[in-house]
Amino acid sequence: MMSANKNNLYPQKSVKKEKSSIKSQIARNPLYYSWRRFCSNRGAVFSGSLLLIIVSMALFAPLITPTSYEEQKFLTENLAFPSAQHWMGVDDLGRDFYTRIVYGARVSLSIGFVAAAFSVLIGLPLGAMAGFFGGPADWIIMRIIEIFSVVPPLLVALLLAALAGGGFISIVFIAALFGWVQVCLLVRAQVMAFRSKEFIRAAQALGGTPAYVLFRHLIPNSISPVIVGFVQAIPLAMMLEAGLSFLGVGIAPPLPSWGQMINIGINFMFFYWHLALFPTLALALTVLSTTLFGDGLRDALDPTLRG
Amino acid sequence: MIGYIIQRLLSILLTFGVVSILLFMMMHAMPGGPFDATEMPLSGAAKATIMAQYGLDQPLYVQYFKYMQGVFQLDFGIPYQSPGETVLELLGRAWVPSLILGGAGVLIGAPIGIGLGLLAALNRNTWVDYLASSIATLGLTIPVFVTSMALILVFSVWLNWLPASGWGEPRKWILPIVAYATIPMATYARYTRSAILDTLNKPFVMVLRAKGLSERKVIFKHVLRNSAIPMVTVFLPMFIGTATGSIFVEAMFRIPGLGAYFVSSIVTKDYPLEMALILMITVMFCFAYFLADIAYAILNPRIRLKEGTSK
Repeated sequence: MMSANKNNLYPQKSVKKEKSSIKSQIARNPLYYSWRRFCSNRGAVFSGSLLLIIVSMALFAPLITPTSYEEQKFLTENLAFPSAQHWMGVDDLGRDFYTRIVYGARVSLSIGFVAAAFSVLIGLPLGAMAGFFGGPADWIIMRIIEIFSVVPPLLVALLLAALAGGGFISIVFIAALFGWVQVCLLVRAQVMAFRSKEFIRAAQALGGTPAYVLFRHLIPNSISPVIVGFVQAIPLAMMLEAGLSFLGVGIAPPLPSWGQMINIGINFMFFYWHLALFPTLALALTVLSTTLFGDGLRDALDPTLRG
Repeated sequence: MIGYIIQRLLSILLTFGVVSILLFMMMHAMPGGPFDATEMPLSGAAKATIMAQYGLDQPLYVQYFKYMQGVFQLDFGIPYQSPGETVLELLGRAWVPSLILGGAGVLIGAPIGIGLGLLAALNRNTWVDYLASSIATLGLTIPVFVTSMALILVFSVWLNWLPASGWGEPRKWILPIVAYATIPMATYARYTRSAILDTLNKPFVMVLRAKGLSERKVIFKHVLRNSAIPMVTVFLPMFIGTATGSIFVEAMFRIPGLGAYFVSSIVTKDYPLEMALILMITVMFCFAYFLADIAYAILNPRIRLKEGTSK
């Protein structure tokens, strides 16, 4: 029964099923319907699986790679082309390039996830405050967001990266600094939409303090925009990291970053194309699958947010 | 309307002030100064003389007010990295390739994007829509230096059709412009698709169809015109975006444009150039959004009416 239900993901197929299950209609968790919607989106499922593979590659990097990312074990085979022994060749400093790419996923994904978490950490309270209190609080927060929308983010990121000396932590903070705006706007819109709903009025009439209403009702109701904001902040942070590393102010060697590898790859691309091709592919695939997964999640959790 | 314009102008001035102070503080908070070379360091006395000459020995707030005073007289100072010219002259020289690259990119990319979006919206949920939407998603998500790398690998390294870098002759312009055009193309494709779908769902379209107007007339005379409003408003900010968006393309294709100066001014702590670049782009963005809002109000009578009745 359960497996039959699970296979029943596409709407065309489910028509027959629904007919027979009318009498046994059970009240289900809204998340169940979200899950069904997500599964019916083939692109999202595919990119989600791809993302899962990339994440597990990053997690189990030491188990699936022959050396560590900074070991110059193959100096005699410098710049060797891809082969059975070195799946993606050897780089200019005698390091196994496949290993570097896999560890690059670690850097890229961890920056993406941590920065997105910080974006939510900043954006959620500010958005909830702006949406709930309105008035001067809203005005001030919106003016701050306006400043973020007119300063060119890349330039300020460059400036901040140079100021903080690059490195993992400073990139995470720079990415969060620009990532929170979207989360804040999403949460603000949701809280504003719910603020005057009946159940909020009822809670207030029963003597609920602003803090109670906010934490008990409004923030739990903003969970889908928060998830959506979180997932959409990940590829942005990854792109920012790759961009900064590409320009030479991001992750410092020997820690591998795809942006940094692309920058080095340009110098070799006419003869040793693998040094340019593989980081390009890895970055493109990861950013793309994260974005599509995020879009799928958004459509599944809250179809009204679709842009 | 006039009250609104004045309010917006004041708000721009406030943003400008806040941004300039923050930037100035951030720039000077960076450890080291413009004349702290590690190789061949200057002697203490020589460095002090140069610092005094550029006014860097004064307290920060004096430096700030002096610089801002200059800015309002369109004097952005002298770049430390090429003291033979003023910042304005340097920008005027370096802006040309960036402007050609960005301008051509937008002018080529935007119409293609509008076409794609239109096709996608009119053939909703068919393979045409999926193809066009996929192209738009690819263009929006894949960083432009990755696109550039792919183009170089295919067209210069493997097919050997076009040069991979440089700027001298128009043949060398093709790849960078194509690489850059993917951004406006993707942005416009997405905007156009959602704007047209939005309009198609409006009741007036149903009325037009019900009264028997041909589909061609419905689309080209009514739907397109009504969808144009959001599309016009993204154009100016996107055009300004070319100024910073081209950094990566210029770095990839080794183009002697503005992009290189963004990075070098920050790394070498070339304060006047850095301030000038960021302030100019901020101001242009502010005005682009401002003009976009005005254009929106002019194009959309409903907004204007609301303004009129509320004030």
